[in-house]
Formats: sequence, C-alpha cells, structure tokens
Amino acid sequence: MLNVLTSFYGLIPVTIAQSLIVAFVVLGVMLPFRILNFPDLTSEGAFPLGGCVCGALITVGVNPFLACFIALLCGFAAGCTTAFIHLRFKINTLLAGILVMTMLYSINLRILGRTNIPLFTYDTVFTLTAGASANLPWVKILIVGILIALVVAAMLYFFMSEKGTSMRAVGASPDMAEAQGINVGTATIIGVGVASALSATGGSIMVQTQGFADVNMGFGILINGLAALIIGEAITGRQTILRQVAAPVVGSLAYYQLISFCLTLGLAPADLKFATGAFVLLMLALPSLRKSSGGTQIREKIRE
Amino acid sequence: MTDMLSVKDGTKIFYRGTQDERRALDKLNVTLSPGDFCVVIGSNGAGKSSFLNAVSGKLPLDSGRIFIDGQDVTRLNTHRRAQFIARVFQDPMIGTAPTMTIGENMLLAELRGKPRGFTYGLTAARRARYSEQLSELNLGLEKRLDMQVGLLSGGQRQSLSLVMAVSTRPKLLLLDEHTAALDPRTAKLVMDTTVRAVEELNLTTLMVTHNMEHAIKYGNRIIMMDAGKVLVEIGAEEKRGITVADLVDRFHTKSDIIALQGA
Repeated sequence: MLNVLTSFYGLIPVTIAQSLIVAFVVLGVMLPFRILNFPDLTSEGAFPLGGCVCGALITVGVNPFLACFIALLCGFAAGCTTAFIHLRFKINTLLAGILVMTMLYSINLRILGRTNIPLFTYDTVFTLTAGASANLPWVKILIVGILIALVVAAMLYFFMSEKGTSMRAVGASPDMAEAQGINVGTATIIGVGVASALSATGGSIMVQTQGFADVNMGFGILINGLAALIIGEAITGRQTILRQVAAPVVGSLAYYQLISFCLTLGLAPADLKFATGAFVLLMLALPSLRKSSGGTQIREKIRE
Repeated sequence: MTDMLSVKDGTKIFYRGTQDERRALDKLNVTLSPGDFCVVIGSNGAGKSSFLNAVSGKLPLDSGRIFIDGQDVTRLNTHRRAQFIARVFQDPMIGTAPTMTIGENMLLAELRGKPRGFTYGLTAARRARYSEQLSELNLGLEKRLDMQVGLLSGGQRQSLSLVMAVSTRPKLLLLDEHTAALDPRTAKLVMDTTVRAVEELNLTTLMVTHNMEHAIKYGNRIIMMDAGKVLVEIGAEEKRGITVADLVDRFHTKSDIIALQGA
C-alpha cells in the first residue's frame, strides 16, 4: 500500500500538468453542453486538429506562439462548421459533430503528412519561455496554469457582459432569446466555434509537452472531458456562472488524479475507457434513477 | 397619424398543393392605431396564432405586407423585429430564461433590439432600476434579483415576463393567451398588471384570448377571426354594450357550418 501511495505521490505534478492542459478541452466541452444547450462532439476532432496544425507548423519553423494561435483559429473554424451544419441543414447536433470529427481525421492526416511526427528537437512555447527547465513539471504547471486562469477569467467576464448574457439566453430559452432580439444562429455558431477553439488550443499545448504530434492523439478525449466536467460540477455546483466556469478546471484536476490513483492501484490501462464510460453513464443516469425511487424532490418543487 | 400596425393581404398557406393544404391566413387585413388595445378571438384553427406569429416574424408570409409604425418589416426576421415588438408567450417557461437570474432576464429585455456590448451587464444602476420596476408587481421579486427564474411559480414568471415586455415601451405588445396557463386568481393579477401597464404607457397591444369575459372587459376593439380572415370587427362604440352571449352568438362561424355539413 505504501508503495502505491509513493508512486501516486510521485505522479501528482505530472498529472496536474496534464489535467491543466486537458482543462482547455473540458472548457470546450462545457460551453456547448451547458451554456448553449448544444450537445457537441467536435472536440474529439478539434483536439487532434490543434495538435496536428501546431506540430506541422513548428516543424516548418513557424514561431510556436503563432503556431498555437493558428491552431486555435483552425479549431474555431471546425466548431463553426458543426454549428452551421446543424443550423442550416437541420441535422442533429451530435451527428453534425460526428461528421465534422470524421472528416477532420483525414484533414489531420493531410496536415501532418503521416500519422506521427516528433517535435523533441524543435523550440516550443515552453522552451522559449523557460529555457532549459522547460521539461520540469512545475514549470509546465506554472505556464499552463497562468494560461488557463486567463481563459477562465476572460470567460467569466464575457458571460457577465451584455453580449455574454445574450449568448447564455440562447441556451436557456432560444424562443425567448429570439424575441429579445438576439440572433440565435450567430450566437450558436460563435459559441460552438469558441468551444472547439479551446479544444484545439489544448491539443496544440499537448503536442508541445509530450514532444510529438499524432493523428490518433486524444482518442476518447470527449468522454474524458465529460467525466471531468461532471466531477467538477459535483464539486463546485452550477448555480452561478462563476461555479459553472470553474467546474471544468476543478473537475479536470480531480478527474486525472483519480485516474492516476486507479492506475497505480493496478487498474489495467486497457480498461480505462470502459471505466470512464461506465462512470459517465452512471452520473448521467443518476437523476432518473433517483426520480423513480422516490418523489421527495418533485414534491418540493410543487410546494414552491 | 400613421397606423402602428398594418397587415395588408397577409397570406400564409401550409402544405400548399397537397391534400392537406390549409390557409392559415387568407388575405388578412388588420390595422391598429397608436394606443389601440385590440383583443383577438376565434375558435381553434381560426388563424389567431398564425396572425401573431406573422406579426412577430416567427411565421414568414407567403404574400402580403406588414408595416409597423409605417416601416415595412415584412422581410425582417424575428430578432430584427424585436426592436419594435415585445411578446408575452402563453407558456411561462418560454418567455423567460429559467436557468438565469431575474436580474439577467431583465437585462436581456432592456437590451431588446439594441446593440449589446462587451461591457459588464448587471451594473449597480441597472439593478436599482430593475428593483424599482419589479416592485410595482408587489410580489417581492425586487429583493430577489439574483434568484434563478426557474424557481419562481408560473404566475410570478408570467408577471416578470410582462414587466420585461413593457419596460422598454415597445411600439407593439403581443400577448399570446398569456393568462391561459394560470389559475383564475393569478390570471386576474397578471391581467390587472397588463391593463395598468398598457394604459400607463399607452402601448399598442394585440391580445389573443379564449376567455370571452376578458375579451369584453379589456381593450377597445375586438377582432373575431375565422379561416384566416377577420370575420367580425367590433369597434370601441359597439364594444361598450356587448355581452358574452352576443359574442358567443356571433361565434357561429363558417368553420362550424362546414363542420356540421361534414358530420
């Protein structure tokens, strides 16, 4: 047991660094699901897209910061495409996401030229900022942590602004939003676009920390993101916009520590996706299980 | 004086060219002068909702034109027309954003049809103004600006919807059976608030209702619709002496006759 704890303890910094990167994706999962009420799967394709674009650009000598920014723009375009397909052709949001995600696989392969390219020998955002100590976990935590804090602060401010309030209204009640003069289509496209831009940014940072870009990277990242989001919301709650925006980061931090603990306890990595899926299923099923077992919650509502 | 609302030959046909073809609006002509409070009645399928949806922009016309305060809005979609129109829906769940707070809902309404910026939304000045506007309802909502609207009762939500609708002094107020889903006591409360606001602000109002007593009691004009047209129009003079029985009498409409022949 002591053995397990020491190896878990040793992994904590690396896991924190990883979870902060994935927190970008979790934010990108949260925004469509919770704010726009637009269940979206584009993240699954936007995450490797960001990684591949960033990796390919770095290998041809583009400045890593610029490479990240271009990856972000590509992710934005992918998200906008999904939302557009849904709005214009009335195709179910999940199906629209799967279509874009599937097509992105080919695009990613084209961008990278092959399935995998190493980036160890190139300068990254981390080596440019921290020099020789770039590979220390605490340096990564500091850099990514500052980035994610800025993103969360920006999102928090935006969702309390006049424009952001109207974007939230689109998810809360589209009919009402339209009647208040809000362009539901534009708000949806921009919102889903920003979400995928976040996922792509996560991908672009990920390739720079792991030292290679791979078209298959992040397989299942969406379900991981969803699991992290659910855990985060269980911890922070969703009553205010601050809690809703903080939940992805808190959830990501908690979820990856949990995974790391399970792995050190001896959970086979092969079983990980099953365990994650089962966990998400359980959390999603919980409300309806509760409802059928007792009526206390419903009664309380009627009393109000 | 220009008409506040004018619908000219408004036509909307569903399932055109099929067996199920149905004329929801059939060369409908309606004009409202500024300050008119017009009640729209008619049996189910008469075209009342289509009329309201055509005015709001939700239902684009096949032919005909719609003018609001002299401006042709026929080609503007719902969110563009929102600068002129405020609407209270029948379903209290639709008219407000349930997962957002009372203050945020008021903010959304205040900026209806206006440009929205990146500046902070619920400023102290706005909160004070919203509290004042809500206090007129006497429901205590003014003290609960940070409460989620989903936690309010149907009547409270509908009252909030109404305040949101009138707070911007819209050129046109659309009330779509807005008390139908409420219990009689709450319905009266919401109706009283409606009348007070409409009179105080001299709003041009279009109210759809199935409640004949409301139709007689409120407003200065009645329009009775049938088969997508105005069947009977009762002006201010005639409306004063009218009774529920008179109205029901006039309800024997073309659709009834068709229905009887079909039977």
